[in-house]
Amino acid sequence: MAKLQVNLKVNGDEHDLLIEPRKTLLAVLRDTIGLTGTKEGCSTGDCGACTVIVDGKAVTSCMVLGVTASGKEITTIEGLASDGELHPVQQAFIDTGGYQCGFCTPGFIMASKVLLDEDPNRSEEEFRHALGGNICRCTGYTKILEAVLKAAEEVRTTA
Amino acid sequence: MSEHTVVGRKVARVDAVEKVTGAAQYGADVHPPGMLYGKIVRSKHAHANIRGIDTSEAEKLPGVKAIITQDDVPSGRRVFATDKVLYLGEPLAAVAATDPDVAEEAAELIKIDYEVLPVVQDVMEAIKDSAPRLQGDDTKDGPNRREITTQIRRLSRDKENDHSDEISKLEAELENYPDEVYYNISAESHSDAGDVEKGFAECDVVVEDTYVIPRVHQTYMEPHVSVASADSSGKVTVWASTQGPFAIRSGIAGTLGIPLTQINVIGTTMGGGFGGRFGVIITHVPAVLLSQKTGRAVRVQMTREEEFTDGRPAPGCVIKLKTGATNDGRILARQALAFWDSGSVSGASIGSTIRVRGVYKIPNLKVDAYGVHTNKSGTAAYRAPGAPQAIFAGESQLDEIAKRIGMDPVKFRLMNMREEGDAVPAGASEPKVGYKETLEAVADAAGWWDREAGENQGWGVAVGDWTNGCGPGGVYVSVHEDGSARIFHGSMDITGTDTAISQIIAEILTVPYESVTIRRGDTDSAPYSTGSGGSVVTFTMGNTAKLAAEDAHQRILELASERLNMNVDNLELKDGAVHVISADPPKSISLGELAAYSLSTTGGPIVGKGAFARQPSTPALAAQIAKVEVDPETGRTRVLKLVASQDVGFAINPMAVEGQIEGGTVQGYAWAMMEEMQYGENGNINPGFVDYRVPTSADLPTVESVIVEVPAPNGPYGAKGVGEPPITPTLATMANAVNDAIGVRITELPIKPEKVVDALKSNGH
Repeated sequence: MAKLQVNLKVNGDEHDLLIEPRKTLLAVLRDTIGLTGTKEGCSTGDCGACTVIVDGKAVTSCMVLGVTASGKEITTIEGLASDGELHPVQQAFIDTGGYQCGFCTPGFIMASKVLLDEDPNRSEEEFRHALGGNICRCTGYTKILEAVLKAAEEVRTTA
Repeated sequence: MSEHTVVGRKVARVDAVEKVTGAAQYGADVHPPGMLYGKIVRSKHAHANIRGIDTSEAEKLPGVKAIITQDDVPSGRRVFATDKVLYLGEPLAAVAATDPDVAEEAAELIKIDYEVLPVVQDVMEAIKDSAPRLQGDDTKDGPNRREITTQIRRLSRDKENDHSDEISKLEAELENYPDEVYYNISAESHSDAGDVEKGFAECDVVVEDTYVIPRVHQTYMEPHVSVASADSSGKVTVWASTQGPFAIRSGIAGTLGIPLTQINVIGTTMGGGFGGRFGVIITHVPAVLLSQKTGRAVRVQMTREEEFTDGRPAPGCVIKLKTGATNDGRILARQALAFWDSGSVSGASIGSTIRVRGVYKIPNLKVDAYGVHTNKSGTAAYRAPGAPQAIFAGESQLDEIAKRIGMDPVKFRLMNMREEGDAVPAGASEPKVGYKETLEAVADAAGWWDREAGENQGWGVAVGDWTNGCGPGGVYVSVHEDGSARIFHGSMDITGTDTAISQIIAEILTVPYESVTIRRGDTDSAPYSTGSGGSVVTFTMGNTAKLAAEDAHQRILELASERLNMNVDNLELKDGAVHVISADPPKSISLGELAAYSLSTTGGPIVGKGAFARQPSTPALAAQIAKVEVDPETGRTRVLKLVASQDVGFAINPMAVEGQIEGGTVQGYAWAMMEEMQYGENGNINPGFVDYRVPTSADLPTVESVIVEVPAPNGPYGAKGVGEPPITPTLATMANAVNDAIGVRITELPIKPEKVVDALKSNGH
């Protein structure tokens, strides 16, 4: 299959790549660039494990073709901590036990990060609905919500 | 206040940072140089004869490196179907190609010539004479026929006397049970205690119902994956997403006839398992075969759709249950007849039917269970395998009885629960278990005793029991010159077990939790360790870790005794140093100094070894209460409150224990309310998250967990396995709450809105 030239900005790094148009952004991130922190749980956009941030929005990267992400700013789980300092959402997931097997965790953290950027003042109920696109099978969500609310508190007080 | 310093405390997990930064390496993250991508070719029919497999078109596709079928399995053990397929999605061949999309294209180009056969998906249809026979003549007698034929056999064996009259009478009696010849039976299990007929005769109330529990998928978030690499010497390395690397090693060895020592299985970080991640054929064996054929590393990864069609989910079943009690609330007899849908293989948790006994004193109990072949994939364990199904039936029916005799459902259960010293069928007497404490704890926490319910609101309670397994394990612990300790073992971390092991070692070596690190080895390097399933890890590996740390502790005291020239009896290890007891001025030597000193001693470095296999486990109880509100118009049930208590023995890391309770309870909720693998004329029809709904955070409120600690005599610090119990009562908890809210008893799960509306209609609403 003929390949197309794309330029992806991922976690601040520029990648000039030749990719097949059928490859998803998820496949490009994982197989071409080697950023395997973003997970593939369903390939149909239903579980949220592959959530990354594209131009400030949470996106299920299995539903986006790599070629359409050309020129956009992409942040993956690997790009969230800065200078060895975990993002408050990452720290909150540790402190509350908001992860178990950890497979859905990158997606949850990226989705939560966007929610906190948009509005850290949401209620628990609002966060519960806003995170409805991400599936976790281990935690029953109780500690994930604790984590997100804790991170929201942190973001509010340091903002 | 606990006398412990590390165990019993909330700690961040040892794998915390790697899990929140994307650094943890799962199976699909492994990418050896030159790796090929495998794809399994699957049956498009649920039941068919295979007349031919034509791979010629696929072979021509550029990028295709190998195509294998059963002809490529040298041992002849069944990996791929040859002449017949028994379910939609059954593997027929596999492809390896340079790109995953090319592998998929090639798989589609392989032409299979099918002769389609009649399909049977429903267990109650499959046992009838009219059903197609799926795996030869697997005919068995039902319970009544079985009793008669057993008598006939016994009489026929007595050659001394003539029993021909009795025998012909009994043979005539068989005619009374024409429907009790069951077909397509894969396995059977029977047990009997007391005399149920007599028991039921003494009862004031007898309730009989049929409970139908659907097949559900474990739905671990990481689909099955393996990466295999066979080198020219015949050595095979497999990176596997599995709960049991040693089981996978022996499974590959047995299936492919490769010597054990030629196989190294590296367990990758596991994206959930819940019992479903032990299978060896599923991806591991095809990956090895493709790698052997191509001489390159090959990854075989299932899609979510393949997980639904060819995973090994939890079996559905039909349980006909009858329970009798007296008006003053004593349960006297219970009888179950169960049909478990084992799909295309045998087994399917049928032995778990006995769990209808629950934790109650039931003097008369009879259980007959059958596994039934249908045109579905085989099944496997799912968190307390078989227990949620059996306990759903048992605990739903108890609620009905409590209602008929006008007793509070919590009091009714408390009154009938077994107590320490009561006789139990397995021989030994009932140990001390927090049955009542756990139920009382949940009732208190939920506000059961002064509960209020608005219109269409209701409360439900149920309990479920489970006993953790046990298995062989080995642990080494080394103490280094900086005073840190390093643990080496071979069991897969199942959401927090590495942390519990680390806490135990830190506790015994009296060092900070942070100075202990843990490393899991592969099957080439690590001591043998049991699979991480059956709630075994904290119990088994915790005991093993304790032994290893105590061994190191002993060596530390010996070294200090040499170094300080003091008798061991005058020394104690405390706060990371060995102290001379009551020395004035205080005298001590740190672990780091002792570790450095050890390097030049005759006895050598500090290495503690622990090996353990078995000690009797103690049952655990999970008790749950839900408050729900049902909308009679739409049939939708909303959970207002969900409280879960559990006797965990001792919570080594309470944060992780709460996580297990919360997660297990929500899985139980999902089985009760949402999940169901559905089958049409040609196999599974809902192989994805749109049609097979699992809960999201929007579906439920916070689960309130309550930890009860009644120590297990043989558990590390009294700990019991905590992973499995919390899923066991929730199915009944939800059904009982819905019943309390709107007065209809749903006996067929899941409790979908349309079922509630239908049930209300037939109740005259």
